[in-house]
Amino acid sequence: MSATKRVQQWSTFSRMWYLYDAQWQDPFHSAKILSPYLTGQNKPIYHPLNDCGDHVVVINSREIALRGDEWKKRVYFHHTGYPRGASWTLAWELHQKDPKMIMRKAVYKAIASNLIRRTCMERLHIYPGSEIPEEIKSNLSGQIRPIMPVPKRLQEYSKEEIDNYPKVFDFPNDYVLR
Amino acid sequence: MSNSHLFLPSGFIRTPLQNGLGRYIPQLQRITIKFCKSHGGSRGVRDFIESDLMEFAKTNPGTVVYLKPRRHRSPCMVAEYLNGEREYLSCHEFSRDEVYKWLSYMCTRSGIPVMRFRKYQHTDYPTIQGVWNPFTHQAPEINVAEFPHEVLSKPINHGPTATEQLIEIFKKTQLEDPANKPPN
Repeated sequence: MSATKRVQQWSTFSRMWYLYDAQWQDPFHSAKILSPYLTGQNKPIYHPLNDCGDHVVVINSREIALRGDEWKKRVYFHHTGYPRGASWTLAWELHQKDPKMIMRKAVYKAIASNLIRRTCMERLHIYPGSEIPEEIKSNLSGQIRPIMPVPKRLQEYSKEEIDNYPKVFDFPNDYVLR
Repeated sequence: MSNSHLFLPSGFIRTPLQNGLGRYIPQLQRITIKFCKSHGGSRGVRDFIESDLMEFAKTNPGTVVYLKPRRHRSPCMVAEYLNGEREYLSCHEFSRDEVYKWLSYMCTRSGIPVMRFRKYQHTDYPTIQGVWNPFTHQAPEINVAEFPHEVLSKPINHGPTATEQLIEIFKKTQLEDPANKPPN
């Protein structure tokens, strides 16, 4: 193989490092977006025997948003293997214990069950906050767009913006707001 | 691929020196036919030699034909090719037509060993537009971008939302008639 061919091979099979901001994103919907990147299914060179998955760095996993009352209703099951070793943990409890776990489990579930599933999961790096170690940040070469827009909170609007916001009517001065 | 083909060598389809493009060089260099003059197993080979062999030798001047009478031995043919390969075939109890068929098979082969094809097509020039890499069809700004990127941190913009459209309409009415302006 000549020198140019060799370099071409390296560039074709090089791994990308994608950033994904999980701020106020549905983890289960996000996992569907992330899993093709981790398995390499978004590439034209994909083949089941071809190990071409990319790295995905997920930040702000503490700020994920579950739909409806899923924080209270979603249950994670674990069994230690011993008698009476079963335990059921609610999503909000699990998130308090480990803010990376819900995201990790969602992605693990989204990747097809096969022998390279664990290898693909090794390329998923989750951080609860927005800080990334420098050695990982220097690798970043792309970003995956979030699914849901992050709405602006009322506290983030300035006084002027709130006053100028179009109103249908004004409350009378003697109206008691409860 | 079945069990009997597990140890079959595999490879890609190829041809010696672009044979058949412009000119054709027969790849069969020499063929040796061994047979017995008396045994019944060689009868078809003897019939073939008596009736068809001369014609075969005339039509294939590039091929050397050897005949080796061997006493009380089963008949066989050995084909040797230009690339150095050698193929042995037992002709025991072959009929005259079978010998003719196998000889023409040996004659038209390229000498490349029988193998399982990984693919049924081959090209020396797999791509003209260049091999894909992760940065093809990507915006070149990505190469120098800092992450998190300002634009890529937002979802794909599908146009103004209903709220934004309402605010736009509101501003327009204000411009047209300042009397609509709410008292601050």
